[in-house]
Amino acid sequence: MKLVGIVGTNAVKSTNRQLLQYMQRHFASTAELEICEIADLPAFNEPEQRDAPAAVQQLADQIEHADGVIFATPEYDHSIPAVLKSAIEWLSYTTRPLINKPVMVVGASYGSLGTSRAQAHLRQILEAPELKALVMPNVEYMLGHSLQAFDEQGDLVDQAKAQELDKDFQAFTEFVTLMQKITPQNKFFEETRQFSWSQLTAGKE
Amino acid sequence: MKFIGIVGTNARKSYNRQLLTYMQTHFQDQAEIEILELTDVPMFNESQDQTDSPVIQNFIQKITAADGVIVATPEHNHSLPSALKSLLEWLSFKAHPLDGKPVMIVGASYSVQGSSRVQLHLRQVLDAPGVGANVMPGSEFLLGRAHTAFDEQGNLKSSGTVDFLTSCFKKFMKFTKVVEAMNVPDEINYQPGTYDVTATGHNGELPMQVTLSKDRIENIQIDASTETEGIADVAFERIPKQIVDGQTLDVDAVSGASITSHGVIDGVAEAVKQAGADPDILKKRPKQTAAAKPAIKDLDTDVVVVGAGGAGLTAAAKILQSGKRVLVLEKFPAVGGNTVRAGGPMNAADPDWQRQFDAILGEKHTLKEITEIDEATIDPEYRPDFRALKDQINDYLQENTDQRGYLFDSKLLHRIQTYLGGKRRDLQGHKIYGQYDLVKELTDHALESVQWLEKIGVEFDKTQVTMPVGAIWRRGHKPMGDLGFAYIKTLKQYVTSHGGTIMTETDVTQLTTENGRVVGVQAQGVDHQELAVHAQAVILASGGFAANTKMLKQYNTYWTNIDDDIKTTNSPAMTGDGIRLATAVGADLVGMGFSQMMPVSDPDTGELFSGLQVPPQNYVMINQQGKRFVNEYGSRDQLTQAAIDNGSLFYLLADDEIKKTAYNTTQAKIDQQVEAGTLFRADTLEDLARQIKVDPDTLVKTVHDYNSYVDAGDDPEFHKNAFDLKVKVAPFYATPRKPATHHTMGGLKIDTGAHVLTAGGTAIDGLYAAGEVAGGIHAGNRLGGNSLADIFTFGRIAATSALADELAVTD
Ligand SMILES: Cc1cc2nc3c(=O)[nH]c(=O)nc-3n(C[C@H](O)[C@H](O)[C@H](O)COP(=O)(O)OP(=O)(O)OC[C@H]3O[C@@H](n4cnc5c(N)ncnc54)[C@H](O)[C@@H]3O)c2cc1C
Ligand SMILES: Cc1cc2nc3c(=O)[nH]c(=O)nc-3n(C[C@H](O)[C@H](O)[C@H](O)COP(=O)(O)O)c2cc1C
Repeated sequence: MKLVGIVGTNAVKSTNRQLLQYMQRHFASTAELEICEIADLPAFNEPEQRDAPAAVQQLADQIEHADGVIFATPEYDHSIPAVLKSAIEWLSYTTRPLINKPVMVVGASYGSLGTSRAQAHLRQILEAPELKALVMPNVEYMLGHSLQAFDEQGDLVDQAKAQELDKDFQAFTEFVTLMQKITPQNKFFEETRQFSWSQLTAGKE
Repeated sequence: MKFIGIVGTNARKSYNRQLLTYMQTHFQDQAEIEILELTDVPMFNESQDQTDSPVIQNFIQKITAADGVIVATPEHNHSLPSALKSLLEWLSFKAHPLDGKPVMIVGASYSVQGSSRVQLHLRQVLDAPGVGANVMPGSEFLLGRAHTAFDEQGNLKSSGTVDFLTSCFKKFMKFTKVVEAMNVPDEINYQPGTYDVTATGHNGELPMQVTLSKDRIENIQIDASTETEGIADVAFERIPKQIVDGQTLDVDAVSGASITSHGVIDGVAEAVKQAGADPDILKKRPKQTAAAKPAIKDLDTDVVVVGAGGAGLTAAAKILQSGKRVLVLEKFPAVGGNTVRAGGPMNAADPDWQRQFDAILGEKHTLKEITEIDEATIDPEYRPDFRALKDQINDYLQENTDQRGYLFDSKLLHRIQTYLGGKRRDLQGHKIYGQYDLVKELTDHALESVQWLEKIGVEFDKTQVTMPVGAIWRRGHKPMGDLGFAYIKTLKQYVTSHGGTIMTETDVTQLTTENGRVVGVQAQGVDHQELAVHAQAVILASGGFAANTKMLKQYNTYWTNIDDDIKTTNSPAMTGDGIRLATAVGADLVGMGFSQMMPVSDPDTGELFSGLQVPPQNYVMINQQGKRFVNEYGSRDQLTQAAIDNGSLFYLLADDEIKKTAYNTTQAKIDQQVEAGTLFRADTLEDLARQIKVDPDTLVKTVHDYNSYVDAGDDPEFHKNAFDLKVKVAPFYATPRKPATHHTMGGLKIDTGAHVLTAGGTAIDGLYAAGEVAGGIHAGNRLGGNSLADIFTFGRIAATSALADELAVTD
């Protein structure tokens, strides 16, 4: 199985990046997880032309060719970081590779609450009509106190948290397989690809 | 009333902009609305703080001055546009201008339900603790089908919509008044008295006394005897002063002393709590704001010195001794640079003094070894000195064949040892060694530097001769009192009491030139004001670049790898500024690829003095597999390279007996570090192995083998030179260590007069360099104690040259 992991921040040090790196190593026998950075994408500014800049296109291609996507998001001010939002805006505004793509959301944060609000926002965002990703329901992996969560080898210190992730990841791989069976028949696929807020309203004019 | 309206998108065309513009005109009789755009707001990045950029500062200042803020947001993918989110992240990071501000949310969107989802998200974001805005509840103004809502003049077509917007706005004005009343600062009432509290400082607990009257913090007294003198004392002066002056706990930490700064703030907060008041109220009180930025300030002097470390203050004192004016610019709040961190003793051969001490075991052997060096391996310029030294040594050995003898030394021995100690090859096989004329200058004049310092007022402990770590020979002159700070304290006192000026927190950013000569510097002062300093000469004494990992990596030709997150023993000020300043005016560099690492540093802080530091004969070093990997008696760079080859992180193993030979710690500190997880302790080797995640059997075997080598007096694996104790008495300890950057031998190319040279070998008029900023002397490896000798010698030389060249003063 081929997966893409998106590091939801541009910070030089990120425990979310560490979490993805851990998953990459730990689940290597089940899935090939490619880690993507978004720090170097241009900031989204709603240009007139809906062309993807090269870096965005590259990310879109990587997503296109993957069986599923894992977002690892920090929480900034009760929501996802602007830089991650910007990356998603680009994808929704140009090639829309997330349509019908199975998605798992994980998040690491310094405090104990984890990234619950950011994850809830991210789910709502990914369900927007121009994204229509298939976010896996019922699973919400939150790693609190993330600065203390990894040992020197980059492994999760807390066994219970490691087992929870094993279970969630297993569920996700099953979800991906299941969705692959359903989505080819999804008749809304083309419609979604064409969706546009302005067209929608213009049509009703 | 004055409001700021923020257009929540950076798109060229926006109905939200249109909505705000409409509000601006429609409500102009009731309030002034200034519209701000997101266009130039950079993407938020916590690793690249841009809070001080003009764009963000503009938002901060305008929002702070306004009575309230109106945010007009589109909905992008069910949430906030990234551009708006980015701005709010900046406004929740280092500055918090929205804290307590009344905010009204409006939104225009294409679809009928308008921007309902984004408005909920935006409320949550504005409510986050870092933002802290007061969002008006209820009254959601959602403008659906925005593309049909406005007429040609930009007015809202529907009168129902206008009425609703007007009622929302009226409510917002009322809301603003209510919030204003809420924001009236909380009264604070203390139970008057003097409170004894402790705060955690850099080196442990700091006892403090805080005196409170009914409504004021009157006085803060700190017992700072345990803190490193010279580094933290600025924090002890400044933080209490700012707290008392502003009656606030919102004060900035002093750079270079942030732990101590926070320790003091926390201590006062504790006292406030004990006095029955809420410290959070004081934390929310406004900072003592600096005065507005003045225009460029011009200053005039004879000589300007960049950097108030050992070399800089020495040069300044020397200039003052000739009756000329001097201005020392120092970028940090405290003077002293790395010099205050130094162990203290400086090398200078003083045979008449050293003679009174008996030779110790092994010294004769070391001398004999020197005479046995094959002359062909000595570089030609050093050969005559080498031969003369051999004669001196042979005479000495002859004279003392049948007796223990006295401690031998000579300028020549100092010179040849500096040369041999610095000779290295880099990864490409290039050989480097100290430039002869510079090494001669250093070793010929080091003793004069000791004598000059004595005249200035530095007292040396003549009763002992020491060998600084990594020095090879006992010729260290140790100042009385506090190590490196002893020099700085006296020099600073001398400079300020003889009419010199030291400006701290003044960062030199550029050298000014006129027709190829250096005529001054530009600098940024405490409150970011620009300074232009005009002078006859500039002396660079800004230290090395061991705290600048990027620069180390850029030039490195010696180490196979330097980790991105490597720590340093240096002050964070050592970023190679002088090298950048001088190369910008054509200076040449020498030996930049060679840096020195301290192999046994704390992996988290770079400090030397955490964990258990024991004499090298008791070092047992194991790698992350639990195996020994090096001769623990090796030189600093052998240990460092071996550590790098083993993944940098390694452990110093100790048992209860070895622990007793540690020279850096106390039982209380040990317990505290074990508790904090920075030092490992276990009753069995197996348990220790599990704690540091190595295979227990491997560790047990390593220790068993090592102990058998100690018994046999021979280490067939790594040939450790000397042993003392075995590892056998529980509890056992493991101190995690990593190499940290320590010294940069390379730097500006200078001549024996400390003139800065171009690649063509000519001196740059008006420019001099002394101390760690200059290169050529220590080459591939600096001997312990030679740096202090260097900075005090070349500091004086730089001043002497500047006086003679530019001010026509001769000694
Ligand atoms: C932990 C430690 C222990 C050491 N022990 C010894 C020892 O025992 N013996 C020995 O001989 N050597 C020792 N050294 C090395 C020695 O301390 C330094 O090499 C020496 O102090 C350098 O002196 P300096 O005057 O060149 O620079 P510093 O004393 O480092 O001073 C440079 C000053 O310039 C300032 N500065 C930098 N850039 C600017 C700018 N742009 N504008 C204005 N000011 C600027 C800095 O803030 C600093 O105050 C040790 C070093 C360390 C870090
Ligand atoms: C501007 C900013 C806002 C933040 N807001 C929140 C927040 O609302 N909730 C939260 O749990 N953490 C917040 N944090 C801290 C994050 O927990 C932490 O930076 C991040 O989630 C950890 O992930 P990372 O290691 O990948 O950066 C914020 C950090 C920044 C820089």
